[in-house]
Amino acid sequence: MTPVRLRGEGVAKRFGRVTALRGIDFEIEPGEAVAILGANGAGKSTLLRIFAGLSRPSEGRFEAIREVGLAEREGGANGSADLARPDLRGAVGYVGHATLLYGELTARENLAFAARLQGADASPARLDGLLAELGLQDFSSRRTGTFSRGMAQRLAIARAIVHEPSVLLLDEPFTGLDAGSAERLSSQLSGLRARGRTLIVVTHDPQRGVELADRALVLDRGLLVAHVARQARPGAEDVPFAAEALQALLARFAQSVGSTGSVGVDSADAGGSGA
Amino acid sequence: MNAAWALLWKDLVTEWRSRDRLVAMVVFSFLVVVVFQFAWPPMEAGEMTRFAPGVLWVTYLFAAVIGLGRTFALELENDAMTALALAPGTRGWLFLGKAGATWVLITAVQAMTAFVFALFFRVDLMTGVVGFATLVAVANVGICSIGTLLSAMSVRSRFREVLLPVLLIPTLIPILTSAVVGTTATLAGEGLPFAALQPLIVIDGVYLILSFLLFDFVLDE
Repeated sequence: MTPVRLRGEGVAKRFGRVTALRGIDFEIEPGEAVAILGANGAGKSTLLRIFAGLSRPSEGRFEAIREVGLAEREGGANGSADLARPDLRGAVGYVGHATLLYGELTARENLAFAARLQGADASPARLDGLLAELGLQDFSSRRTGTFSRGMAQRLAIARAIVHEPSVLLLDEPFTGLDAGSAERLSSQLSGLRARGRTLIVVTHDPQRGVELADRALVLDRGLLVAHVARQARPGAEDVPFAAEALQALLARFAQSVGSTGSVGVDSADAGGSGA
Repeated sequence: MNAAWALLWKDLVTEWRSRDRLVAMVVFSFLVVVVFQFAWPPMEAGEMTRFAPGVLWVTYLFAAVIGLGRTFALELENDAMTALALAPGTRGWLFLGKAGATWVLITAVQAMTAFVFALFFRVDLMTGVVGFATLVAVANVGICSIGTLLSAMSVRSRFREVLLPVLLIPTLIPILTSAVVGTTATLAGEGLPFAALQPLIVIDGVYLILSFLLFDFVLDE
């Protein structure tokens, strides 16, 4: 599992006449847990798909940098540390709105297929271990078309981590789950994070974002309108990293930011709008 | 390369379990043969041999269009297309896996269709069966290559049912021309002429390389 840093400068994305992202800057360190918050249409999923190497920015620069590469450079080795998009796809695990599973295959077959696509170990022992980790060991031979939403979502996460990615990207992973399943998923994600993975969660639910993440990027209509951290940065005021504060912030920007406006809000501003 | 084998295995297993494409293609092929049988004017068996290759290949190509239209149907469920797009490395291997599975399926349907066609049209396909089988196998490489690429291009379109035939059928005409010439010769017991095989090999090469290289862009957003 190679640590990967994600960095973007002026990242913009257009789909025909529709602008999904309007030039945003960000940097995500290896091992961080980051929530991307915003209302529907804010550009959260588009940004996540750029992180995954599924989409190219229309403008700006996006880089995924291997930490090993940085060490190599310090040691005098030549060559760029940037990951090319085909390699980036192997370094990330992606859980989308849909499960990305094949209903005609069993749980173990789905994992085996995903592992082979990624060039990872697809031995039965390893796959069974992964299924057990996600609490699906009793359903390994069942076709996933018969799975409940919660089971399918857990299997989707197993599929996403089958190749031991260093970055796990999750797009609204709690949608459609009941309270118990959401709680279980949340604790499993915390467990994955504790093992050093970078976790990037897209959600419109600030409560979930606060539970999982160290900091949050708040998007509104394609703009990065706030950057909120659990721990204050040196020289900055303390920031209340609470769901209520983020909810208030989202509501404020939903009302006040014009579609063409350029608004910068720092962490102190976010704190001021909080509870 | 592993990705190609994985996709080939997945497509054949899921098809074996659902038989969606297989049933659709077989039923369609048999219906076309029956329709041609009713539309055909009465003629001698020898005279029929002159027209039979054209009828057979038109049936094959229309059935292939039906099958290719469903190539990525399973990927549309649960957004599994994204799972394919996330595979690292050269995406051309994914194309090869998909095209390989489609080749197996289309070839199986064509073998069944040939049997029914021989019964209805009283054509002796056993004359030159090896040459005919070789011709079908080679022609299918081109059909599946360009068909898989165009199917992937059209699958996310709202008009995919119309778009695929409109894009695909013109690209299949060079294959049809050579295949009919080759089949006519094999049915007449003259063996498989190289003049028919050569253009097919060239078309296969062009479609295969083109599709392998372009598949990466097709899966991008």
